[in-house]
Parts: sequence; C-alpha cells; structure tokens
Amino acid sequence: MSSQQQTGGTALQTPAADRGLYYLCERCDNRVELRKGELIRCKACGSRVLYKERTKSRMVQFEAR
Amino acid sequence: MVKANEEEILERKIVNVNAETVSNITSTDFPGHYYGEDNSWNLEEFNQNLKVKFHTNQPYDSSFSLIGVDASIANAFRRILIAEVPSLAIENVYIFNNTSIIQDEVLAHRLGLIPLKGSTEGLRWLHWFRKGFSEENDYNTVVLKLQVRCKWQPNGKDLAARGETDPKKLYIDSNVYAHHLTFEPIGQQEQRFNGVPVVSANPDILIAKLRPGQEIDMELRCIKGIGADHAKFSPVATASYRLLPHIRILRPILAADAKKFARCFPRGVIALDRVSAEEASREGSGYEGHEGEFKAIVADPMKDTVSRECLRHDEFKDKVKLGRIQDHFIYHVESTGQLESDELFLESVRLLKVKCRKVKRALNNDNLG
Amino acid sequence: MSASAEEPKDVEMTDAQATAGAAHGESSAVEDTDDDFVDPDAEPKINMLPGSTDTEASFQFDKEDHTLGNALRWIIMKNPEVEFCGYTIPHPAEAKMNFRIQTYDGANVRKVLEKGLNDLMDLCDVVIDKFTISRDEFNDQQE
Repeated sequence: MSSQQQTGGTALQTPAADRGLYYLCERCDNRVELRKGELIRCKACGSRVLYKERTKSRMVQFEAR
Repeated sequence: MVKANEEEILERKIVNVNAETVSNITSTDFPGHYYGEDNSWNLEEFNQNLKVKFHTNQPYDSSFSLIGVDASIANAFRRILIAEVPSLAIENVYIFNNTSIIQDEVLAHRLGLIPLKGSTEGLRWLHWFRKGFSEENDYNTVVLKLQVRCKWQPNGKDLAARGETDPKKLYIDSNVYAHHLTFEPIGQQEQRFNGVPVVSANPDILIAKLRPGQEIDMELRCIKGIGADHAKFSPVATASYRLLPHIRILRPILAADAKKFARCFPRGVIALDRVSAEEASREGSGYEGHEGEFKAIVADPMKDTVSRECLRHDEFKDKVKLGRIQDHFIYHVESTGQLESDELFLESVRLLKVKCRKVKRALNNDNLG
Repeated sequence: MSASAEEPKDVEMTDAQATAGAAHGESSAVEDTDDDFVDPDAEPKINMLPGSTDTEASFQFDKEDHTLGNALRWIIMKNPEVEFCGYTIPHPAEAKMNFRIQTYDGANVRKVLEKGLNDLMDLCDVVIDKFTISRDEFNDQQE
C-alpha cells in the first residue's frame, strides 16, 4: 500500500490523508476500512464499536505459569 | 526378650480422639522405648506385618489401605506423589494470533493447567528439559498446536436478525475446547508415541470463547516437570490418606439409645443387633435382663468420619471411646489422567528408593567437607 | 519445528539415562541420573557441618525436605546403635535439610546413615512387592 509510494519517492511524504486503516467490527466479522474523518461505523451492520486489529507477523512468547 | 501382649500392642497403635483433645499421637516403636523390647528395624518382620488392601482401583481413582507402616513413610509417599512424580504439561506458549477477549498471558496460564495424556511408553521415553542447559528437541519437548477460528453458521446471520441468541446455532467453533489441541509429532515421536497422541486428558475443558472473526493461533510446547516446580506438573488431582477410625463400645448401648447412637454416625458405621440369650445370662456383661433388645455394634468403622457427635451426648460419654489406628493409612489417589493411579503410587515408592540411592552415592563420593 | 531435523544435542544426558535404566532394570518414568534438575556446577549434595565427629555429626542435605528427612529419621531411630536422630529445615526459603545423628558405643555415624538408606531402600522394595501383588489380586477379583 503505502510502502510502494515510499520506495521511489524523492521527498518525505506525510502519510496520505486518504490512507485507510482496518478495524474489526465488534458485532459482525467484518473488516472495516476507515479513513480520516470518517464516521466510526461498521459498513456491514452499522455497529459503532470497532476494535483495532492485532499487530500481525509478531509472535509473542509466554510461559504457561 | 519380653514381648508385649496383643492388647497392649493394639492400645499403643490407637490415637485417641477425645471430646476436645487428641492423644497418643507419636510413634513409640523405637529401640529403648519399652523396657526389654527390641523394636529395631527388621525387614522380615516388616514384610510379615505390611498389608495392602484395595478398596477401589479405577484408572483415575483408586483407594487402598497401607497397613503396618509408620506415618513418616506413608507421608513420604504422599508428598512424592504430589510434588515429585513427573508429568507432562504445557510450558511455553507461542502466540501468533489471539483476537479473543481472553488476554494472552491469561490464556497461556490456562493452557498450562490442562492435564495431558498420551502413550505411556512415549511419556516414559521423554527426557528432562532443563532450562538453560538443554535445547528443545524431540527427546524433551512435545509440540501441540491450537488453531481455531470462529465463523458464522451458514444461516447464522439470518437467525441473529430474527433474534436468536444461542451461540451454538449462530456460530461455528465459538467455544475453544481442550480437544482442539492437536499433537504435532517431531523426530522420533511419531514412532515412540506409536499412534497414541498427546491430547488433553479431558476433551471438554473450555479454554476460551470466540465470536465470528476472532481467532486463536498458537503453538504450545510441553515438557516433563515435577509438582515441586509448578502445580501443573503434579500427576495427581488429590493424593491423600486418612487413618482408619476405631470405635470401642466399652459398655452396652441398648434399645432406644442404640438407635440414637447409630444416628450419631454416618450410615452403616453402627449396626443394631439383638442381645442373645447367652449374653443376657452372663453375669456382669451389662446385658442381664435385656434379652431380645437392640444393642449397638460397630459394623464398618471405615465409613466413619470421626465427627465425635456421640461424645456430645451424656448417655454415651463413658460408654464409647473413639480413636484412629496409627499405622492403617487409607490412601486416596486421583490421577489427572497421564498415568493410572495405582501406577502413580508405585512410581512414588520407586522415587523414594531413587532418592536414597542418590544420597548414598553422594555420601560415598567422599566429598563431605 | 527446526529442532526436529537436528540430532539431539544433549547426548550425554540420554546416554546416562539409558545405562541407568538398564542397570537396575526398572521400567520407570524416573531416571536415576545425578543431573536431574541439578545444576552441573552445583556443590555436593551432602556436607558435614563443623564440629562433627565420628559418633556425633550433623549432615547438611541439599535440595531435600521432610520427604526424605522424616522417613530417614524414623528408620535411623530404629537402629539400636543410635542415641539420637533428628532433622531440621533451618529456613523454609532455603532448600536445605540438616540431619543430626548421635550414636552409642563409638558406632560410626556415616555407617549408620548408610544403613538407614539401605534399610529404607529395602522397605521400598517390600512395599512395591506387596502393593503389586495386592493390586493384581484385586483386579483379578473384579473381573
């Protein structure tokens, strides 16, 4: 997504305002893309409770104690 | 050599449970304690006096009496069962994804406490994993996977719209159970566990709850450990003993009193019998003129809880003595599922022997400083 | 898992276990190795405390507790050569057990301790035998 914009670029860019972030709907299993200024709302079911996604590709280790 | 008579020997063996006190607790079977008696360690005598009597022997629940050992020995077996017989449990949890509402560290802790079972030969073959010294390999680590993702049932969304709230009708895999754990044999384990995989001893343990879109993806590494290190390694749910209760009816308890007396005990401990003609005719027996009446007799002291209820009633106070037999240990061993209960007890005895052997070796190494 | 492809690294440990298992021929989850849970650099398992003589001595056992302490105390007290035998765990947070033996008539404390250990091992054998016989009889009756 944004990584391609940055590889060939000459100047530093501020993160694009139209870049969306993904959230998880609390009520249904929808992945919701939200942009800046957009209403916080699931597009499928209308729920206003959204969770942040868990950071991917990072394994955490715990001791089962 | 003077020998104490049988009555006296029995008297020594009884711990008296009085109304407010307990007396005659300590063992006195040592040389020099009784004038003229030997009491030194004698293997032959021990072999003759030791009795083992089984009451129940189910794989994960057994009860037996060990008669003729000292409390220090019986207690050693019990302590070893709880804290030193090794078993397999989840030790390291690698979480790739966990979007459930249960936090990573809490989930890891829950997983550790799940009792596991598997091929006995495989588990015996498994070696110790020593933190900081050994590296994880197929000899000392068992890998389990837990990968569950919750989904809607095909018609789940419709049902939800119509007001259905039963998670079972709405979702697939909304409950993560211990049977979702899958064994991933590595190296020699395929052959050593020989088709009997490492799984949870109880498939229905609830690990977490999910809702559609939530996912658990983790790898669990199990090692062999002992209960002294962490309770999850303890192979027993309970391992306990109690002393056999002993009830002595000193003077006859008759008729209505006998019925009342029986009610002071759990059902089956005291039975009622008729006073026989012979007893009634015997001078000084206390039964004179009571032929055909009920009398209380001790039927099954094993069932007693030694509640001391009978001592609260004045009419029984001087007619009965309660106690427990000092060298009669009624064990109750409940296994968590990895090994069978009777096997666990044998293991504890073997371990005590190994302990002695190790100490002996250290003693002979002559490094005493 | 990457470890699966590799040879086991702690060969020393596995060899020790294999020989120990063969030596006493017990099928057991318990391996009779010195290095179980013990740091290889650890100090010796038993020390004699200062002031000890041949007939009156205090031993300090590392990583032992009431399990061995009380059982060993009982069986050593059954030895007629022993005047006194007792043990203590000086501090609950330290895995140490102090064991005191005093003997009559110049009997050697180390001999007494060794006899105690031997007797305890004999006792274990008897318990294993009796238990196994009784269990098998019980299981046969149930069928």
